[in-house]
Amino acid sequence: MIPLTVIGGFLGAGKTTLVNHLLATGGKRWGVLVNDFGAINVDAALIAASDGQTMALTNGCVCCNMGDDLGDGLAAMAARIPPPEHVIVEASGVGDPWRIAQMALIEPGFTLEPLVVLVDATALPAQLDDHWTGDTVARQLAFAEIVVITKIDLADAAQLAMVHARIAQLRPQARVIETAHASLPETALGFTPPARPPASRFQADEITHAFPTQRIAADQPFDRDRLRWVLGMLPASVLRLKGVCLLGTDRVLLQYAAERWAFSPAPNGLANGLVAIGTPQMPDLELLFSEAR
Amino acid sequence: MTKNPKVTVFSARRVVTLDPSQPISTHVAVRDGRIIGHGGPEVVGQFGGTLDARFADKVIVPGFIEGHGHATDGLMWRSPYVGYFARTAPDGTRQGGFRSVAEVVGHLKAIEATMPPGKPLVSWGFDPIYFDGPRLTVADLDIIAPDRMVVVAHVSGHILNVNTKVLIAAGFSADSNVDGLVRGQNGQLTGELQGPAVMGRANRATGDGGLLRELDVEGLRDYGRIARRVGVTTSTDLANAMTPANVTAMRTATAEPDFPIRLVPAMRAREYSIEDGLARIAELRKLSTPTLQFGLVKLVVDGSIQGFTARLRWPGYHNGAPNGLWYISPAELEATVKAYHAAGHHLHIHTNGDEASELATEMIGRAIEAHPRADHRHTLQHCQMADGGIFRRMKAFGMCVNLFANHLYYWGDQHARHTMGPSRVRRLDACNTALSRGVPLAIHSDTPVTPLDPRFTMWCAVNRLSATGVVLGEAERITQAQALHAVTLGAAYTLKMDHLIGSIEVGKYADFAVLDDDPLTVDPTAIKDIPVVATVMGGQVFATS
Ligand SMILES: [Zn+2]
Ligand SMILES: [Zn+2]
Repeated sequence: MIPLTVIGGFLGAGKTTLVNHLLATGGKRWGVLVNDFGAINVDAALIAASDGQTMALTNGCVCCNMGDDLGDGLAAMAARIPPPEHVIVEASGVGDPWRIAQMALIEPGFTLEPLVVLVDATALPAQLDDHWTGDTVARQLAFAEIVVITKIDLADAAQLAMVHARIAQLRPQARVIETAHASLPETALGFTPPARPPASRFQADEITHAFPTQRIAADQPFDRDRLRWVLGMLPASVLRLKGVCLLGTDRVLLQYAAERWAFSPAPNGLANGLVAIGTPQMPDLELLFSEAR
Repeated sequence: MTKNPKVTVFSARRVVTLDPSQPISTHVAVRDGRIIGHGGPEVVGQFGGTLDARFADKVIVPGFIEGHGHATDGLMWRSPYVGYFARTAPDGTRQGGFRSVAEVVGHLKAIEATMPPGKPLVSWGFDPIYFDGPRLTVADLDIIAPDRMVVVAHVSGHILNVNTKVLIAAGFSADSNVDGLVRGQNGQLTGELQGPAVMGRANRATGDGGLLRELDVEGLRDYGRIARRVGVTTSTDLANAMTPANVTAMRTATAEPDFPIRLVPAMRAREYSIEDGLARIAELRKLSTPTLQFGLVKLVVDGSIQGFTARLRWPGYHNGAPNGLWYISPAELEATVKAYHAAGHHLHIHTNGDEASELATEMIGRAIEAHPRADHRHTLQHCQMADGGIFRRMKAFGMCVNLFANHLYYWGDQHARHTMGPSRVRRLDACNTALSRGVPLAIHSDTPVTPLDPRFTMWCAVNRLSATGVVLGEAERITQAQALHAVTLGAAYTLKMDHLIGSIEVGKYADFAVLDDDPLTVDPTAIKDIPVVATVMGGQVFATS
């Protein structure tokens, strides 16, 4: 399973800076998909140095359709030998990163990392109030799990407080990270950040505590219909649920995010068991899942 | 005058010239593929020509110009067409016209029986909006072929129906719950897939590029066959990636002596960075020939209204659907428009919703302010919901419009009910407002989205009837003369080719549509039914059959 991180955010929020920083410091074989207009700004040399690959996704449509080449790009990445160790999709500045994240749910071979959305500390309120861009930016934040506020060195305290307030209004479930230069370590973008904060303030300006997690036993098979009912009942405080379980007699991989879920054949080498990741408001799920057995 | 073997004079019952100095003639003289004169019978002697009287009882009009078509129409016919509205295939046969799910299933079953095993059956143009009775289900398609992948693409471009074999290959099961997998009341998948994510996955599972094939020479020949049957002598190909393969195919096809149309491809700017795009279009312009003109640059600002992906101003979609997404951010649009405008290029910008039209107009205004330039003829394509205010600004900035008149018929009922509501739908493709505000007007089919046929497009703009016979915005009707102008000289103007084509005037190419009746005087409801007898392109006659 290849971890897949979708990075969204409006034009100028620092997505490409963040991707380049990850490439320069991550020490992994990266695959990068860029779903944006024109040339790829991601540093190709950095990708080549890690033996990885970059692909640009332009609209593959005749005229009036959104492109469906993202899935093609993911499949091509997964088919590479050796495959990338981690794939990043940089969403278009006007795209909806949640749509892209949903594609990863149904794409075999990938496991969806937190949905990361960048916002510009100096520009977010104006973008949200702009009659041409407001709904686009709000929609980008609607399913974000990690919101990275960039360029905080250019904003004063009052501006920053306003940015936090606007984010909290749109997506209270998200963890919010502040940074000056979008130069975050890879670990800051996972559900489980490192125990100790990094040494340098320029690496990551603030790392808050991890998302609460719960383990749910899955040794007993679940009943298909009842599990579907339980998944439909999960509150918004459950951000993710993933793992291998028995669905009747089938051994399957479940991936759940924001009221959407997909089952695919379970890969070898993973033990049965589900992990739920959520906000501090996440209720005890064991009782709920016992209904599905 | 002595006989000149190079001059042919076509006689007709009437020649509708659109030449302001003589609008109606009966004879037109042609030399070296161009018009050398027109008038009465005296033209024969005046130019020493040989009389060609085969159209003596017909009406000659300027060859029709499709200002917004896609040559990929010529590729579609490699897959079976299963639409509600009958269309003409390149070989001249009428296809489709299915009135129920049962008819579609029966047609596909017959085709399936002739196919070698293993090959997926992919069909297109499915349009169940007007069907009574049950919807198409996975069970229907499983009956056609349980062991073969079956795909039915909807005409809207936003939905696929597939059979169980495709669902399994794509990894879709009723256990999953992602956007775009439609379920029935029993919770099972209906086989209907909505949106690019799940549709793309199904297309990959079939291993058939489906309906997104690369343009090739044979496809262009087929497009030419479709075009000449409906009187078209020039067509755009309005979204061309301009890969070396695309360009080679177009140069090869348009150089063939019997290729019946002039082709005007538009470079899709999205395929390139601004810098590379500027270099590419400059290089392409040098390759232009009389039958292949480069120079247009295509931008796309939003999606489609029927797909709920167009950007609308207040009050948004009538049924409450959320606004569409920008395909390009306002800032990038501004930068792109400015760059191509400043470099002297000619933009054709897809804007379906009125917010997209407003934005594109604003950005062209800014570009003009930064780089004043006369006669740029930047054109908004579709521009379906623009009102008087937007058209007034377009006029002020010297812009043109190409309205999607065919939508009135094919989707008008849907727009009245779901997307625009009963009031706003009256200004859908507001041809009269555009003209009365002084915006140069063309009208189009966007083939293969709707069938290529300028007679039908004229009929739509003149009558404004939906498929169920409802008049949408009577005050936006235009006259037959205005409609003919919009598919000839008006379209030529938006392509910067009005000095070459679009009317029957001395010096222009001898491009004609030969009709059985006069579109200016025929009953307005009969415009779409006027038989096309032949086309003439560069003086060469192409029979329609
Ligand atoms: Zn088009
Ligand atoms: Zn279009």
